[in-house]
Amino acid sequence: MTPTYTRKDFTSDQDVRWCPGCGDYSILAQIQRVLPDIGKPRHEIAFVSGIGCSSRLPYYMNTYGFHTIHGRAPAIATGLKSVNPNLSVWVVTGDGDGLSIGGNHLLHVMRRNVDLNIILFNNQIYGLTKGQYSPTSEFGKQTKSSPVGNIDHPIRPIGVALAAEASFVARTMDRDTKHLQQTLLAAAAHKGTSFVEVYQNCNIFNDGAFFPLTEKATKADNTVVLEHGKPLIFGKEREKGIRLNGLTPEVVKLSEVDESELLVHDAERADPVLAMLLDRMTHPQFPVPLGVFRRVERPCYEQLMQGQVDRERKRKTPDLAQVFRRGNTWEVTKRS
Amino acid sequence: MTYIIADPCIDVMDTACVEVCPVDCIHYEEGVDRKLYIDPDECIDCGACEPACPVTAIFAEEDIPEDQMPYLEIDAEWFSDKDAARKKVDDLKPPGEKG
Ligand code: SF4
Ligand code: SF4
Ligand code: SF4
Repeated sequence: MTPTYTRKDFTSDQDVRWCPGCGDYSILAQIQRVLPDIGKPRHEIAFVSGIGCSSRLPYYMNTYGFHTIHGRAPAIATGLKSVNPNLSVWVVTGDGDGLSIGGNHLLHVMRRNVDLNIILFNNQIYGLTKGQYSPTSEFGKQTKSSPVGNIDHPIRPIGVALAAEASFVARTMDRDTKHLQQTLLAAAAHKGTSFVEVYQNCNIFNDGAFFPLTEKATKADNTVVLEHGKPLIFGKEREKGIRLNGLTPEVVKLSEVDESELLVHDAERADPVLAMLLDRMTHPQFPVPLGVFRRVERPCYEQLMQGQVDRERKRKTPDLAQVFRRGNTWEVTKRS
Repeated sequence: MTYIIADPCIDVMDTACVEVCPVDCIHYEEGVDRKLYIDPDECIDCGACEPACPVTAIFAEEDIPEDQMPYLEIDAEWFSDKDAARKKVDDLKPPGEKG
């Protein structure tokens, strides 16, 4: 039986060393708050991270944890989950770790659908190295490494996850603690790779990057919460909606357009087309979608692997020497 | 684990901490309360409020000075029973008393 935990049970004895006010504190706190509800004893939970501000998180969790190498957390987490499928494995990464140096690893872990929860802290900057542009920094942004403006076009994390056919793709924000908790729980409940992008304020090197979306005064007009089976409605008075015009979304007023004409969210659609389209909705032309973009079932890597191993073991007694000698093998002989 | 607001805030309430709190968990009722209160269920322990306070009223739970310990309970209580919390503040520091 799983013990009854509270947030405190998941708090380690380490001093948290992020800058005061950093959004990372909120993500940590919400993770610690939801873990008592995922139904796993502490020793069956592991947090694996790469390098960066985000990746300090495993130290602060009273679970198993592994602060690994830059960008390689997905590979190590894959190994962990494959040999111990009973573990709840979480990957903690950032826009630098996950999309720059570790972009390739991230792609393939999602393609394989290893049953992991990947939490990507997106603050659109390299924080640990003190403020250089990252793969998600906006075009033209001035940073320490782009003093006259960033000439790189930013990558869209949700788009990357969808292109890799991730089976669960969601977005949430550090400052919306309730939504963050809900999203983490949904990710934990999903079987397969869950990819969660968290908009995170780096109050030291990129303060306010998401304020139009997170602050009370502007949030309702600049975000739309995706709910499966429900029309996309937003605005302070819930007076606006999203309608599809062919393949192009458009913002409409509910005083002029009937609710029945609005785009209805379908997170369980087999193909990622709708989710892709939603990901293209960006500020300021559109409200930015938050919530679960996609949630589909497909077999997990570790199950397929174990299935193969079990089947082959049953079929024949393994003989390594035979495997070595199979196919086009030959011996190099010494010339006399 | 939370931050709390201790007695230096009483009758000062300049709200500098409210401005910096990323999760809006510092509350009070204007014209009624004599200090501000941090919601221990919402506080994320980020520490942003502590240096923002001009009168050093804010402490992390583990650093609360001995004589300010009652505020740990008082801050939490405000979120379930505002009047009880206010009464305790008044008892500790009667209105009008300086210092
Ligand atoms: S540098 Fe930015 S992201 Fe890193 S801990 Fe400080 S505020 Fe947070
Ligand atoms: S520690 Fe952070 S979250 Fe808690 S009250 Fe202070 S500013 Fe708000
Ligand atoms: S900054 Fe200090 S004095 Fe000002 S309201 Fe907050 S706790 Fe009170």
